[in-house]
Amino acid sequence: MAKTFSLLRLLMISGLASVIASTALAQDDQTNTGETPLFRGEQLLMSGSYAAATEIFQMADGLDRNEGLVGASKAFAMMGNYQEAMSVVQNAIEANDYARFPLLSTQLAEIKRVVGESREALAILKSVVDGLEDAPVRTLVQYGSLLKFVGEKETASPILDQAVQRYNNGLVFSSEDVAMVALASWLMDNFHDANSLFSEATRANPNNLEAHVLWGDLFLEKYNMADAERSYQEALDINSRYVPALVGMTQITGDERALQRAMAINPNSTAAIQTYAQLLMVNEREDEAQEYFDKVLEINKESLKTLSLLASQAALEEKSENYASYLAQVEAFSPDNPIFLADIADYLGKNYLFVEAVEFARAALEADPQYWQGYTVLGSNLIRLGEEEEGKANLEIGFENDPFNVLTSNMLKVFDTLDTYVTLESEHFKVRMSEHDADILWPYLRPLLEEGWNEQTAKYNFEPEGPILIEVFENSEDFAVRSVGLPDIGPLVGICFGKVITLISPDTLSANWQEIVWHEFMHIITLQMTNNRMPRWLSEGISVWEEREGRPYWGRSQGLDLVRAAEQDKLLDIADLNSGFSGARSDADLGFAYFQSYLVVDYIAQEYGFEKLVEFIKQYALIKEDSARFQEVFELSLAQFDAGFDAWIERRVAEINVYVHTEDVPDEGAGHGHGVRENSSAILAELYNNASLKQHMQSRIEENPRDFQAYLQLGIVLFKEEDFLQAKQYLQQAYNLLPSYTGYPSPPLVLSQIYEKEGNREAQLEQLELLLQNLQHDYGSAIILAEAALENGDFERAEYYIDRAIQVDPYRSDVHQLKAGLADGIGDSALAVTEYEVLLKLEINDPVEAKTNLAEAYLKNGQALEAKQNVLSALETAPSYQRAQQILLQSIEGDAH
Amino acid sequence: MKTKFISFQLVCSCFLLFLAADIVAQDSKIIEANDFFLDSPDSTKYAVIMVGPTVGDESKSKFRQWAFSLHDILARDYGYSTETISLLFDRGESQGAGAERIDGACDLQGIQQQFASLKSVVKTGDQITVFLMGHGSGEEEEAKFNIVGPDITGIQFAEILDGFEQQDIVIVNTTSASFGFSASLSSEGRVVISSTRSATEKYDPIFSRYFIEALDNRNGDRDKNSRVSMLEAFNYAKSNVEEFYEEQGRLASEHAGLDDNGDALFSLNPTTAEVDGRLAEIAYIDTLIDSSAGLPTAAVRLKGRMQELERSVFILRGRKADFLEADYWQQMEVLLIDLARATGQFNEQVNEQATQ
Repeated sequence: MAKTFSLLRLLMISGLASVIASTALAQDDQTNTGETPLFRGEQLLMSGSYAAATEIFQMADGLDRNEGLVGASKAFAMMGNYQEAMSVVQNAIEANDYARFPLLSTQLAEIKRVVGESREALAILKSVVDGLEDAPVRTLVQYGSLLKFVGEKETASPILDQAVQRYNNGLVFSSEDVAMVALASWLMDNFHDANSLFSEATRANPNNLEAHVLWGDLFLEKYNMADAERSYQEALDINSRYVPALVGMTQITGDERALQRAMAINPNSTAAIQTYAQLLMVNEREDEAQEYFDKVLEINKESLKTLSLLASQAALEEKSENYASYLAQVEAFSPDNPIFLADIADYLGKNYLFVEAVEFARAALEADPQYWQGYTVLGSNLIRLGEEEEGKANLEIGFENDPFNVLTSNMLKVFDTLDTYVTLESEHFKVRMSEHDADILWPYLRPLLEEGWNEQTAKYNFEPEGPILIEVFENSEDFAVRSVGLPDIGPLVGICFGKVITLISPDTLSANWQEIVWHEFMHIITLQMTNNRMPRWLSEGISVWEEREGRPYWGRSQGLDLVRAAEQDKLLDIADLNSGFSGARSDADLGFAYFQSYLVVDYIAQEYGFEKLVEFIKQYALIKEDSARFQEVFELSLAQFDAGFDAWIERRVAEINVYVHTEDVPDEGAGHGHGVRENSSAILAELYNNASLKQHMQSRIEENPRDFQAYLQLGIVLFKEEDFLQAKQYLQQAYNLLPSYTGYPSPPLVLSQIYEKEGNREAQLEQLELLLQNLQHDYGSAIILAEAALENGDFERAEYYIDRAIQVDPYRSDVHQLKAGLADGIGDSALAVTEYEVLLKLEINDPVEAKTNLAEAYLKNGQALEAKQNVLSALETAPSYQRAQQILLQSIEGDAH
Repeated sequence: MKTKFISFQLVCSCFLLFLAADIVAQDSKIIEANDFFLDSPDSTKYAVIMVGPTVGDESKSKFRQWAFSLHDILARDYGYSTETISLLFDRGESQGAGAERIDGACDLQGIQQQFASLKSVVKTGDQITVFLMGHGSGEEEEAKFNIVGPDITGIQFAEILDGFEQQDIVIVNTTSASFGFSASLSSEGRVVISSTRSATEKYDPIFSRYFIEALDNRNGDRDKNSRVSMLEAFNYAKSNVEEFYEEQGRLASEHAGLDDNGDALFSLNPTTAEVDGRLAEIAYIDTLIDSSAGLPTAAVRLKGRMQELERSVFILRGRKADFLEADYWQQMEVLLIDLARATGQFNEQVNEQATQ
């Protein structure tokens, strides 16, 4: 096929356009603007004045009559008036002689397809194609498209090919027809040609809205969001009321307003209604979603997307009768439709039912082995089950046949990264990570994983199926692609799929990586306990709750956020908790969704006991309504449970007993991998000078003596002014009001800095200890406390704070120097070996010293051979280094101690 | 000391044409280190620190701090004195803290005078280390070091250095876009360090900071002989520059290189096993101290034995690629054990003498 757009063709098209324009101007029937009705109607249609367009188009006469009627039909369709859209063309087709009126008939067939009358549409298009030697390109492509839709793929191919050949023979000129040839190429899986042709069509006529949107749809199908958005935006720049572009844009951005605008313009747009229903479904408003889906099916009983979504939900809920009913509806117009089956697979996969997803994806490929997207769906779900080899093989098939699919190529690229990784195993885990992480992180990750396994399996009396595969990615894009197929995953840093966990390497984080690992492993327990049917809010709530159970300083303390949410009535009902995640519009929203989910779990554990929590989890392994689960476990309706929770929150808020000013921003909860939170003092410093800030905060305190943030900010300003005496008073008051504050900087942090400046080391250390009781992400404070403990020979304390520092950043040599010193101090030669091994990997300035230290540690640990190897390596560089020489002699003399 | 000096500018115009051929021929240009940097205890080492002008208080303060730190470190840790260190700073200001260290302005006249003065005191086998800080610009023959007044080109500066045929020369050029200027100074028997690898690397490098840090307290001493060679200082600075950019999460805007075989091709990873690195390994910033005086005969003999063994280690290490790994380490182990024992015996001798 000719893939280049010749200059000749351009000239021909522009020439044709001139002829059309001059012909239009020569028409007798002109509007009051002097333009022909057809020309004016097209302008109105293009600009979104659909109602006016219907009237003007119908004024067209003579040679323009049929084109005018087609225009009027399109304008009616744009407003959702499909009956008028059909009748305006139907009435002009004399004696149903479709072949005599190909343009009118094709438009009629297209509307009939929109309203779910595919058989009738097929019959009309067949009449035109069979009745004419050279049916219009649009007719051929619409016919081929419909044949493929109803499962007659073999018949469709030669029809579509006719359109393509006509282009190759230089007989397709108009932008509109070139776009149709592009669509034909797309339907025949010639994606590269389709892309080139859409480009040609939009260059020939930049106002071809249909071409822009179809091109966007192609990009969207290939998960190329940036280009899809560009195409839709180009259409919207021309016509901001173009419903297909508004819907396309919503599918990318999730912009509900664009969708509502689309539904206002065309209340019968099945694409818009269906997309809105999908949004409702995502937010677990299934009943409302069902109403919209019903409306779609009323308009178009053959809406494949709606039927696949409904069937997916039925499959998810194991409602086999419902599923069979939806399947039968699809079979009635499109037997063995692979898209239907693969869409269900994709939906189930997105709902964590990977085993079932794989089954449906296999069925899709059985129905049509050339449905390349099916291989991507199958491959991605196999990977999430840990079946990497088979998953990769399927992705490769998908990629070979559809290299434009960004999802497929992204996922395959991650395998290239994984090929450079090492695989390490512990009793219950298989971990893939970079060599750097294997050297530095693994010594601390391994015991943590096994600790998590031992504690949680005993606590929940449940042993998950293993080994658990954990993949630790150094590159956040690799992590995102491995997790969701696309390189942007927002602020998430770890994801659990039931048997597989993906993580961002702590080397690229500034959060407590151990808490994150603990959190993700807890998902393994809850997901597997419920066959991956755990709702997100509960799974996250339990994982956050278990953080605090794991270490007392882990978990979330967001007292100010809670008070603020309670005051603003922003706490969600239990039934809506999932929407807190799916509908989060900011990192703060997302962080609070985690926090509220945790509060619900904490409420259950405190008020009903841990056993009830376990009982409640087990309920999710069963297919039933949420209300039934609450009734079964708590003997309460959802509303009653909500009421109890609300009362508990009220008590909790009363206990916190601080005042939250409306002007303050949420600044707690940072460091859990959900983005960087606001720094109140930094914001205020930009808004006020010191004098006015002090005055303002003092007036706030006078207004409300429990205004925590006012005390804190006043203390910070006074600290900056070096008025330490007053600063300490305000900061201490702030601390007394809310000891568990987790924002930055906190009262103990500023107080510790004051004491440091005053040379009061004891008080400084005391404040740092308080700080670390609530802040788990502070490396520097832990190091200071560890050093102080080592100075005092308090090894137990030193060990505690060294581990606190490693939890934040295991990649810095100073913490390992301290731990090696600790190991030497307590005579733990094995620990010393571990630490000096890590230090050698981290050392860049003095490898000779690092090797010598390691050799000495080996020697003390009775590993003379390893000692000799390392010290020889050191001496190779520094042959006259006497300390190393002595270790060498000791290592060969067996004088290990 | 033999004079094998081939001035770079003689081949400069042919350089581009023959670049490919030069690369192929690199193996044959490995310098035999015997003729240069003989490191005699009788030699004197000189340092010339040249700091060009800059715009902005921050940059000026940074260069000033680096230059003064380097001055102090050379004096404190390496035995340099006001007679052996020269500091040409900006306009040669005589006011402000530390101004007493400044010997003159960093302009063409100041540079010429300084090197003329140096020429009158140096003797054969002495070493001159030139540190350049500030800004550079241009490529090839247009490459310049920005000084007060008209800038100095690499070719002009090379002519000045040509007057020191009997001395060992080290150039540490830490300016931005330093590559072209540095390449002009390349010559057989010289160690030239450039903080950048091309004229496009025009942001202020941080290489200087880490190079000075390598010298400070002998941080860069990797082989534990209590001395810092140019190769050690280069590798220390290079590693830390890489670490700096990695920690910042930024693409590195500087890549330092070293040339010590006179081919004007700078190695980014010089080692003693590569074409560049062998001369830099024996080019020390300080003067060797003769510690044999007053030792008993047996100790002197042992010291000779130690030096012989150490030399054998270096030779074996240089031929590592010629051996199977197991054979290499077997031979290395024997040498290192002998050296360790000899050192132990030497120490016993010295201690015995001390207790008598």
